[in-house]
Amino acid sequence: MTTKQFVEQIEGEASIYFDIKDDKVEFATITFPHFRGMESILKGKSALDALVITPRVCGICGHAHLMATVRALEDVYKNSSNPVSLSTKAEVIREFTLVIEMIQNHFKWIYLSIIPELIKLTQTTRIQTPLKGAYASSLASKAIAVFAGQWPHSSYMLPGGITSDPTNIDILKATSYLDELILFFEKETLGVTLEQFLSFESCKDFASLQSDVGFIESTLIDVRMNTKGFAYDRFLVIGKHNFSKPSKMKHTRSFHVESALVKSVKPYAPQEKSFALNAVYKDDYYETGPLARSMSNAVPVIKNIHRRFKDSAYSRVMARVFELASLMQEAKLLLEKIDITQPSYNKPVDFSKISGSGVGVVEAPRGPLLHRVEVQNGVITSYEIITPTQFNIGSSTQENPTPAQKAMIGVSEAEAMFIFKTFDVCSVCTTH
Amino acid sequence: MHSNLAKPRLLWLQGVTCNGNTHSFLNLHSLEQLLSKFELLYHPSLPALFSLEDLSKCHQKCDILIFEGTYDPMMQRDGISLEKWLQHYSSCARYVIAVGTCASFGGIFKASAPERSSGVLFDADKKSGPLVTIEQKVINLSGCPIHPEWLEYVLMMISAQKEILLDELHRPRELYSNLAHHGCTRNEYFEWKVDAENFGEKEGCLYYTQGCRAPMTHASCNKILWNDVSSKTRVGTPCFGCTESDFPRRDLFSTKTNMSIPVDVPLGVSKRSYLTLAGIAKTFHIKRLEGKLIDYKTVR
Repeated sequence: MTTKQFVEQIEGEASIYFDIKDDKVEFATITFPHFRGMESILKGKSALDALVITPRVCGICGHAHLMATVRALEDVYKNSSNPVSLSTKAEVIREFTLVIEMIQNHFKWIYLSIIPELIKLTQTTRIQTPLKGAYASSLASKAIAVFAGQWPHSSYMLPGGITSDPTNIDILKATSYLDELILFFEKETLGVTLEQFLSFESCKDFASLQSDVGFIESTLIDVRMNTKGFAYDRFLVIGKHNFSKPSKMKHTRSFHVESALVKSVKPYAPQEKSFALNAVYKDDYYETGPLARSMSNAVPVIKNIHRRFKDSAYSRVMARVFELASLMQEAKLLLEKIDITQPSYNKPVDFSKISGSGVGVVEAPRGPLLHRVEVQNGVITSYEIITPTQFNIGSSTQENPTPAQKAMIGVSEAEAMFIFKTFDVCSVCTTH
Repeated sequence: MHSNLAKPRLLWLQGVTCNGNTHSFLNLHSLEQLLSKFELLYHPSLPALFSLEDLSKCHQKCDILIFEGTYDPMMQRDGISLEKWLQHYSSCARYVIAVGTCASFGGIFKASAPERSSGVLFDADKKSGPLVTIEQKVINLSGCPIHPEWLEYVLMMISAQKEILLDELHRPRELYSNLAHHGCTRNEYFEWKVDAENFGEKEGCLYYTQGCRAPMTHASCNKILWNDVSSKTRVGTPCFGCTESDFPRRDLFSTKTNMSIPVDVPLGVSKRSYLTLAGIAKTFHIKRLEGKLIDYKTVR
């Protein structure tokens, strides 16, 4: 029997077609219906205009797109023998706003996605608190706006640096927003201090928590999500940052990774047209995102969880929750590193004199985001975007399923719907 | 005490979009108070009374329809064309609020299907969208994205049954009679025609070289600050004119000039007046405006 489930509130929508046998999912295909044609919109535009256009791929991770674009354009400069030099200050500030956007994303995922889904799955009467997510995200946005002017849809990074030139007042302001956010996180989400939480080494440590994170963790165990939702136990991290280590992982073994080996292939979705392409690394599917990054970084508590529960839905969820905490610490360190006396921007050669190709890779909230661009005398002739959700939630055949498809096999339809959301789906990015 | 039934019923529907307005709205500091005044039928990320699947049957009615994204009649949500969604919910609504430049004028995503896409009332600056026959209901909140307080203002005015004065592009005058230039911290540089030499500096005006559209753009970005904190021009990013019907223009980081004079002069100012004033201003050399505001390296 095939059933169709319409999935909403995932930055757009998707449909999942389930093949059900004996009340368990035998196979599922996934379709994303909305096409926008970002790549063709970019063609023929001035290279720098991409800095304004690509953040509009996505309302929740536009900053990651901005950073992928600026890295791709800087790569074009480099490949045409006109390398751009960046001050440490510009690099640190870019990194800070990217990290904060991730924090914003993870908060929304906790309060607008995963807690409501757990309540739905267990049919408990717990009161939803979506506005906690909105409040925390709005605080995070303020910290971005100090340097980037606004969030969403800032375009403050450009080849050679950033447009802003902060004073100590700005740094203090950003620090104060971040501190407020950490206090909120400790009080409302964790139930312990950030420092205590980050010192956790085993999943047993979570058991003492009487908080939103405690609810998430204990409910996941109650519904046995530590025994469900397994994908390939293969992970991919490609974006290079302080908080991430590029790596291709099979179980716990780490291998060298090359962004050039990523390509997109046509989806398999017989019931409905899907506009999302699947992303593969050398023809294979890999899981991306917080669990992948934590495995590659060998985060002790996530390694401990993985040793017990492999790449289960439990591990995936807890990795994202834990990453939120470690990103907060990372953001604090980054703010301390900013040296305001350095230049914000080193002017590169005029783009109209530049031709060539470039690749920009960043770690976005859901995993590697790749932008590949070709430029002819400063004009974009080709632009390709590959987003993390394309890695995690493509739709392939029964013989070679994508991570999300694989993770949904063998569980009930309701559990599969929950497992689908543990990947933190971004529909708009997927179809860009 | 007001019963729930007395609250206006609010429906947030999306066309071709990036969700930017949805997320910008979540930044509103008074979100809870605002939402308490309405009955939320649907929102793309907040819990609401109905699912999109419930609403696609077009059996419900709303009082206020918020529309985000470019209108493409062929686009489907839950298998129902946008044409049908918009037709049904706009006909029962008392107000249709187009949030964002895509919904107002077509915006960025008009380019996805230019031959059939537009804003809900306007296609760029031509009033030829699908809601022409009920244009009196339509309020445009252009901007890519909208500032959450702009939407708060409109919803609170509706809730209080106050009249909202609109400009010729159906934008609230109280929000769009200003220019993005008003309140810019670089105004003195504009007055004395001192250019920003580069990006990444506190000093200088971005209008002459870096493509800033603030003196030609109706918006209150430097009056109602973004995220309560800042604005593009305050952090040295040029205004891209995202609230106007011709957004996105091309070559957004450079000023189009003719004999080194900007081709587009400040709104409502004749070229001659502008040139006269600029010519005079440029003859003065004001040392304070030519140097660094703060020199961290040499001043102790």
